[in-house]
Amino acid sequence: MSSQSTLLPGPRPFSPSYEPTLEAAVSALAGTLSEEYRLSRRSVALLLLQGDEEIERQVRETEGDRFPAVAKAVAEALAPMGGSADTAITLQRHAAARSLAEEAITRDGRTGTPLAQRLSRLTTSPITGLPILALVVWFGLYQFVGIFGGGTLVGLLEHTLFGDHINPWMTGLVQHLIPWRWLSDLFVGEYGMWTLGVTYATALIFPIVGTFFLAFSVLEDSGYLPRLAMLVDRLFKAIGLSGKAVIPIVLGFGCDTMATLVTRILETPRERLIATFLLSLAIPCSAQIGVMAALLAGHSVAFGLWAGVMAGIFVVIGYLTSKLLPGETARFAMELPPLRLPSLSNVAVKTLSRMQWYFLEVFPLFLLASVMIWLGQLTGVFGVLVKALGPMVRLMGLPDASAEAFLFGFFRRDYGAAGLYRLQQHGGLNGNQLLISVVALTIFLPCVAQFLMIKKECGGRMAVAMALFIFPFAVVVGTTLNLVLSLLGVRL
Amino acid sequence: MSVAKGTVVRCCFCDYEFDEEEGVKACGACTLFGGCRKVKCPKCGYEMPEMPKLLKRILSWRRS
Repeated sequence: MSSQSTLLPGPRPFSPSYEPTLEAAVSALAGTLSEEYRLSRRSVALLLLQGDEEIERQVRETEGDRFPAVAKAVAEALAPMGGSADTAITLQRHAAARSLAEEAITRDGRTGTPLAQRLSRLTTSPITGLPILALVVWFGLYQFVGIFGGGTLVGLLEHTLFGDHINPWMTGLVQHLIPWRWLSDLFVGEYGMWTLGVTYATALIFPIVGTFFLAFSVLEDSGYLPRLAMLVDRLFKAIGLSGKAVIPIVLGFGCDTMATLVTRILETPRERLIATFLLSLAIPCSAQIGVMAALLAGHSVAFGLWAGVMAGIFVVIGYLTSKLLPGETARFAMELPPLRLPSLSNVAVKTLSRMQWYFLEVFPLFLLASVMIWLGQLTGVFGVLVKALGPMVRLMGLPDASAEAFLFGFFRRDYGAAGLYRLQQHGGLNGNQLLISVVALTIFLPCVAQFLMIKKECGGRMAVAMALFIFPFAVVVGTTLNLVLSLLGVRL
Repeated sequence: MSVAKGTVVRCCFCDYEFDEEEGVKACGACTLFGGCRKVKCPKCGYEMPEMPKLLKRILSWRRS
């Protein structure tokens, strides 16, 4: 047995070394520990820096009176690292494990780091990750969803197929069958169930949402989203969130209502509240984002300004909210799945599944909206409400006709966006007005369902408080933007 | 939400593989009209659309 032991030595102990700042912090902290533990002092120091509650309890009990000095050393060590060393330690351990694996693995005829790993590092490093994110938004959202989906596909479906062929035929048929104008308007009037409900849902929203879901599924299947979570973790900490909040925020770009429910995965009530508020305020849902991108297609500067203003609102309001709601930010660490080439079948299945889900959800609501508007027109309520919104839109420098879009926007932001799209198609908005209306509408509460979900998750008072902040805030931002553009003499 | 047993789903966010039924159970809190037709990863909470029944049938038909 002894000869076998000599022949088969045990595994070489592996202890990763960290970057100098972290190593110095670990050594200093280990030096403050005076008692013996089952783990080495270095391991205890590392766990303390990672905020391990169990080890903290053990150290508190073992060190006794000396614990305050240890706690002070932990706080001092964490201060230059933004209050948490967990992510840094995880990342450096991953790098050490990769390096160990590289030593042990032999590749035939290939040297250097695989392309996927290099790309993975580029997407998580702030210096390269942020420009990559900008490229993803530009090509994925603006070029593909906005120009191709909102321009080319909508042009073919809404203008050519529905506008030139189906709708004139359907209008003629319905008006022939129903001679009473007030009743035929329900189906084929300006806001009729066919001419507005079916046409918008099928020919306007559907191609835009379809291209958005396709782009989103490609990103999802490539493994980019967890890297995005790592990339924005530090920024999110500044606004009281952890990188894990990327999950509800990213899902919010699909549907804000369900994303609000997903905020339950966040660890603290404070984080859940901040994420819910930001979802309601600054994250446009798939339908809206698609129509916005389509609206701004061809106005690349306005698109950039819209993205910039919304990102600014997200960060500033998030930061202020986190100051108003003091508390500890949750830590976030996750194992990164490999970056991979998206599989065509996966992308197709996800896109089709999402399109089916969206269509089933939105189609009945579009029809219901048409009926409500028709009733509102018959009774005169619609006109009164539109008139009441006149001063609000004029304050933002917008034409009175845009009040209709904002009225729709109170019920669902994507209805409002579709209304703006219609207005823009008829030349009713110049470049500045387009930007202002798009920004103001993006800030609106997403829909009635979202309001009910906030009520369910955060309580009625909080839901009302959020709505009372959000709607006036949208008008304030729109008015300020109008003033700034006018003062600077900007003509978009 | 009826789900065929044994359908394995891979989470798009954390790569965790789980039975679709397990994901649906994790999503039980949803009260949206008739359910949201999404599957929630029990590990990280990410939500993915449930595969439409027609697509499931086509894929199982192709496999057999």
